[in-house]
Amino acid sequence: MFSARLLVGLGVVSLCGLWAPEAHAVGVPAGTSIDNTAQVTYTVGSVSATATSNTTTVTVAEILDVVVTLQTPSVPVIAGATQQELLYRVTNTGNGPETFRLQMTSVIAGDEFDPVAAAPSIYFDTDASGDLSPGDVPYVVGSNDPVLNADEFVNVLVVNDIPAGVSDGNRGFSRLLADARTGTGAPGATYAGQGANGTDAVVGTTGADSDATGQYLVAGVALNVVQTQAVSDQFGGTRPLPGATITYSFVISATGTGSASTSIFTNDIPADTTYVPGTLRLNSAALSDAVDADAGDFSAAPVARVSVQLGTLTQASGTQTVQFAVTIN
Amino acid sequence: MNKRTQFYAFVTLIACGFTSQAFAQAKSCIELKTTAEVEKEVVNAKGEKTKVLAPAGKVVPGTEVVWTVTANNVCKQPSDKVVINNPVPEHMTLVANSAIGAGSQITYSVDGKSFAPAGQLTVKENGAERPARADEIRHVRWEFKNPLAPGAMAIARFRAVLN
Repeated sequence: MFSARLLVGLGVVSLCGLWAPEAHAVGVPAGTSIDNTAQVTYTVGSVSATATSNTTTVTVAEILDVVVTLQTPSVPVIAGATQQELLYRVTNTGNGPETFRLQMTSVIAGDEFDPVAAAPSIYFDTDASGDLSPGDVPYVVGSNDPVLNADEFVNVLVVNDIPAGVSDGNRGFSRLLADARTGTGAPGATYAGQGANGTDAVVGTTGADSDATGQYLVAGVALNVVQTQAVSDQFGGTRPLPGATITYSFVISATGTGSASTSIFTNDIPADTTYVPGTLRLNSAALSDAVDADAGDFSAAPVARVSVQLGTLTQASGTQTVQFAVTIN
Repeated sequence: MNKRTQFYAFVTLIACGFTSQAFAQAKSCIELKTTAEVEKEVVNAKGEKTKVLAPAGKVVPGTEVVWTVTANNVCKQPSDKVVINNPVPEHMTLVANSAIGAGSQITYSVDGKSFAPAGQLTVKENGAERPARADEIRHVRWEFKNPLAPGAMAIARFRAVLN
């Protein structure tokens, strides 16, 4: 006969840190010819003359460099969630076009649980939405390896499922790795003739591979509601007679490390009772019955119902008390 | 222009090029040559690490290239007032005060017109003069004080880093 409902939006936890600086390529494009010609002027006797040297050319070799940066510092999840994504950026910081291979792993020491790689587990963020969408193209190693020009980047999503048995506050790490298909190795290692335009390819300071590690944080939040009621009859007593007034109180509290955004309290007016206009309160402050700037309203149709928008609730928010009164028909 | 006319125009240009070059070579008393080298660390016979210059064929950004200009007097008379000009190659930054040349006064320029010794070159910025930075210097000039004797060689050298 009676039900209080809470509609809770996705819990969102914001954590700072872990942001990497923008990666930038340095250097003249691979394959560029650097020419030098000198000129001389002189006199022999009283005759002035000039001469020009040969042109000496130096060719710019290709540097193989790549940087992977994490774009989502920490992703809040709940136990058992599927298709949870971390966003990474792979930037070619070398000076020529290069093909990169991508790999991911979620078995990493130092966390409390191992996320389970979804299948497929790497997607291109094709629609640049920052999250997994139907249009995002799965990555297939050796098939659609990203080809990036110097300074160009591609955004990549790593997708994992969260095991059911994890607890609030647990962390699970997941890593994206990228390496240059031409080759990796110690800085300075040379792949003769394998660079852009037939130049040499030289491994840069990154070793031509890079990785970044993101984390999922189990950030559960539970909203609890405790309901009490007080009856006062028209004869000064507390008997639930027709015409008596029932004042309901709901005390709402959040527990856990997450946050419940756009929390809305709704309650249907019980059968055989009638809402008393102007009695809706949030934390003792009166709320008008109209749908307006304040957080609460009463609607008579299709179902007689009060609702109060509680906004974002966390454990730190403390308790929220919603009150209203009805009369017994 | 039809194809036939294009063909003749092409041949004419080539011919003119060869003629003028041959003419200049025959007349010039100074043969000028440039080379590009990079320093490489090698271990010598005594087991010591030393630096040698090796030809720079392909270099990666950040590499310092040693540019050397040699002027040979191939005539039987001395050449006087020998002045070598070398623009800093495109995509390269001059290493500050790296130009050397025995017996020469070395000056630098930003615009290729006004030259000044190291430390005296200035650029105008917001109406005020300030010292030119190494990356703004685009020309190096060597003015040799003494005549270049027949068979003698003058050397001018500078270092620049590939951007």
